Amino acid sequence: MKVVSQILVRIPLILWAFIVIFPLIWMFMGAFKSNAEIFTSPWSMPTEFSFTNFERAWNDYNIGRAFLNSFFVTVLGSFLTLLLSIPTAYALERVRSKFGEVLINVYLASMMIPSVLGWIPLFFLLMKFNLLDNLWALSLVYAISHVPFTIFILVGFIGNIPKELEEAAVVDGMSPYGILFKIVTPLIKSGIITVTILNAISYWNEFFMALILLQTESKNTLGVAMNLLKIDAQYDSAWGVLFAGLCIAVIPVIVFYSIFQRHIVKGMTEGAIK
Amino acid sequence: MTFSSKSKYLFLAFCLLPTFLLFLIFTVYPMLGGLYYSFFDWSGTSANKTFVGLDNYIRLWNDSIIVKAIINDFFFVFVKVIGIMTLALFFAVALTQLKIKEAPFYRIVFFFPNIMSVVVIGILWQFIYDPNMGIVNSLLNQVGLTEWARPWLGDKTWVLPSIAIPAIWAGIGLFMLLIMGGISNVPKSLYEAADIDGASEWQQFWHITVPLVWPQIKTSILYIIITSLNGSFVLVQVMTGGGPGSASEVMGSYLYQRAFEDFQFGYGAAIGVLILVVSLITVLVSQFILKKEKVEY
Repeated sequence: MKVVSQILVRIPLILWAFIVIFPLIWMFMGAFKSNAEIFTSPWSMPTEFSFTNFERAWNDYNIGRAFLNSFFVTVLGSFLTLLLSIPTAYALERVRSKFGEVLINVYLASMMIPSVLGWIPLFFLLMKFNLLDNLWALSLVYAISHVPFTIFILVGFIGNIPKELEEAAVVDGMSPYGILFKIVTPLIKSGIITVTILNAISYWNEFFMALILLQTESKNTLGVAMNLLKIDAQYDSAWGVLFAGLCIAVIPVIVFYSIFQRHIVKGMTEGAIK
Repeated sequence: MTFSSKSKYLFLAFCLLPTFLLFLIFTVYPMLGGLYYSFFDWSGTSANKTFVGLDNYIRLWNDSIIVKAIINDFFFVFVKVIGIMTLALFFAVALTQLKIKEAPFYRIVFFFPNIMSVVVIGILWQFIYDPNMGIVNSLLNQVGLTEWARPWLGDKTWVLPSIAIPAIWAGIGLFMLLIMGGISNVPKSLYEAADIDGASEWQQFWHITVPLVWPQIKTSILYIIITSLNGSFVLVQVMTGGGPGSASEVMGSYLYQRAFEDFQFGYGAAIGVLILVVSLITVLVSQFILKKEKVEY
């Protein structure tokens, strides 16, 4: 009986694993195929492993540039998010007051409001400041959009630091700025890593704000460039190139995921439960 | 803190003010602005901005595509809640309760689509459904179901379910992890006691797992509802642009097309307000339906 149920329960598990993995394998195989191969034999392995499709996607279809832009936005956005969130999270956790409670609720409530609502005014706001089509501005917009979530997570981590450490530092004559940056920040390292991984993944993957706020091809991030590549591929029948582009967008995420898998899982469950 | 109150307030201002100012400018102002712009007829240039009162909302009320879009949005909410929760619950129970050796493998694989970009998922599935090179039709042809093969995303009846499948595909991992976290907090002794009393696994699932994991289940359902209403349009916009016709239009994709393709920014803003109102009402109603006292044994 036990053996039968062990086998039965594996059927849906294996089936779903196949449904998740196969499209990705298909995508990787497609990246090495010529058009003729893609149409005639969708299930077969590519006849030769040439990187022509990858080169064309990277050079001729702007994916290389977009890759670097996405990297820039991801790194700068993640850094700005921390810069803006850590001091606020510290102040809100350590100085409990009516005002602090209100502030934290304002941040939390903003997470419930659909960001779509703000896109039109945001577009015109950036236009007014001459910041449209600017990767620095996009990074800042990303950072601020994730500040509430980041504060929310970090407050929990700061709450776990024993207050005695800070009190001892005060006795030693350390300024509150010193305590914040030299004592508290290093102590919440694991929280910072977890939340930064989650932020970085969503900045790397973001599409719609970039679509609205960027305008020239040289500024495009990966999502926007992939969407354009899809449209171009339909005119040029460059299907292999399209698959190669998809691979270029996914490979960093796979690498990142395999390195930080534990942190991601922890962050996702802990962050979402509270 | 034991600093003089002046330096204490300076420090607090240093911590809180810059972030809050930027938050006001880039989050609060755009949201209030969305409300404000919805009362104008506006093509984007400052010269052509006229106050029209509730005209945009009257137009919303009479716009047949809006009705269609709301229905489609709720179709996605409904199918995603059912599909994701059923599979996520099953996988979570299987991977935690049934002593499967290779459970970590499944956990890692099932979660992977969650961290892929929606654009990549959308494009990938667009080609999975492609009538000529896609694997869905190719598979159907191979097993002899040729008459089932169709242009999935170009078919008015099939386009919605065809978009819902990748949405479920990409959504399961996170909620599976959430529920697994909940199950791991259930005391083992409860299941042992139930075993001794001769309760079947099915009974244990309904009488122990579901009630004790209810907070996680509830959070997951609410989270799916919110993210679906506020974000499922990205997949729609990438895969079909709302087509064929307006068969797969949802509120968010319609907003994007009206505002950023047709430059009707006032009307777009009104759709934004509609999305806010619809999602707040839906969340409140579902919170009421899902209300159930927390069980502790």
